[in-house]
Amino acid sequence: MNNHTVEILLVEDNPGDVRLTRETFKDSKLANRLHVVGNGEEALTFLRHAGQYTDAIRPDLIVLDLNLPKKDGRELLAEIKTDADLRRIPVVVLTTSKAEQDILKAYDLHANCYITKPIDLDQFITVVKSIENFWLQIVKLPTAH
Amino acid sequence: MHKLLQRQVKSHLGGEDLDAFPEAWKRLLASVNEAYEQVDADRLLLERSLELTSQELIQRNKELRRQAEELARSNADLEQFAYVASHDLQEPLRMVGIYTQLFTRRYHHLDADAEECIGYVLEGVQRMQLLIEDLLAYSRVGTRGQAFAPTDCQATVSRVLANLQAAIQEAGGVVTFDPLPTVMSDVVQLTQVFQNLIGNAIKFHRKDEPPRVHLSVVRKGAEWVFAVRDNGIGIDPKYADRIFVIFQRLHTRAEYPGTGIGLAICKKIVERHGGRMWLDSRPGDGTTFYFTIPAGMSAPPAERSRAEQAGQQRGGAA
Repeated sequence: MNNHTVEILLVEDNPGDVRLTRETFKDSKLANRLHVVGNGEEALTFLRHAGQYTDAIRPDLIVLDLNLPKKDGRELLAEIKTDADLRRIPVVVLTTSKAEQDILKAYDLHANCYITKPIDLDQFITVVKSIENFWLQIVKLPTAH
Repeated sequence: MHKLLQRQVKSHLGGEDLDAFPEAWKRLLASVNEAYEQVDADRLLLERSLELTSQELIQRNKELRRQAEELARSNADLEQFAYVASHDLQEPLRMVGIYTQLFTRRYHHLDADAEECIGYVLEGVQRMQLLIEDLLAYSRVGTRGQAFAPTDCQATVSRVLANLQAAIQEAGGVVTFDPLPTVMSDVVQLTQVFQNLIGNAIKFHRKDEPPRVHLSVVRKGAEWVFAVRDNGIGIDPKYADRIFVIFQRLHTRAEYPGTGIGLAICKKIVERHGGRMWLDSRPGDGTTFYFTIPAGMSAPPAERSRAEQAGQQRGGAA
């Protein structure tokens, strides 16, 4: 069981999905804080404590949408998983695509898991709650440094 | 004198000096010589025309290869377009659906009228999601079609009946089939055709009459003609062409569920195989759907053991 506030970085450009995810995580029993960036470049700035994010925390979990403006989610995934400093942070891909080539590519790039966003509200909430339950409560996360 | 003749005259008759031979022999040798010369000339003509033909063939082959590449490229473009369009169209639809649902959760004091309005919105969203999926499936008949291979129709129909078991059982239906041949086809697509036709036959049954469906086949010249006959509600002949058109339906969604893509996909698949599809029906009197598959390298339904296996496939028993 993790006993500190879990820091989650959500990389998502759709404000509708951001709001839903944020609200669902807020309802969680476990203390967590959600940080949101809207594109891949900003995500890297955040992760590398650069630009406006010099004081940024190091996330315990990254939830990543693949379809992002500027730097595409797949590129970001590749960069995170090849960076010696960042690669141990679990990355949950949460995206609209259910195309086989996208799934395979994500796992090839060492995504920790791949989830297709449901089109139904209740299913979406269930999925986000499952992410929270599995990755925040059941799983042992790599402790920060 | 022709070289070959020269050689033969020398070996059989000793000399080549024509003047030494009797007159009659001279005339004989002259005509034989002419025959040889003619054969040579003919052979030359044949070689030349063969050369021209093979040049033409090489050209044709080049052209066909180019067209095949063009088609493959066009198919790949279409597949990508269809996927991207459906994916990008689904995304805003998802937002509409989810946030409409969220809206109804947040505002508990909605009256019955508001609930009804929201109901129509959500239904519209769901319908559009299905339509987009169906359009993608329709476009994939061409772009995801596999090469043809010998397909055992008997095994295919058995599998289809297993897939439809729940629906057949629920309707109390009975599906039977005659011995079926092996045909050259894309097994995935042929399965879709059988599943759609049999599924429809089960779905559109008369109110108090459990559906009875029978598959038969007959060989007519260079093609197999399949028939799927049912005792269902029937179709007015004046709509016979319309129902093969994409999304055209003859009933409301409340009466019978569906988007109206099934028969359009079947027709497209059958035409991809070089066949045709049509129907014969009268309202209230059942319907028979016919489709043809070119016989090509097919094997007939000859085996007796197969005939024994074919027959009653009741809902409930395998």
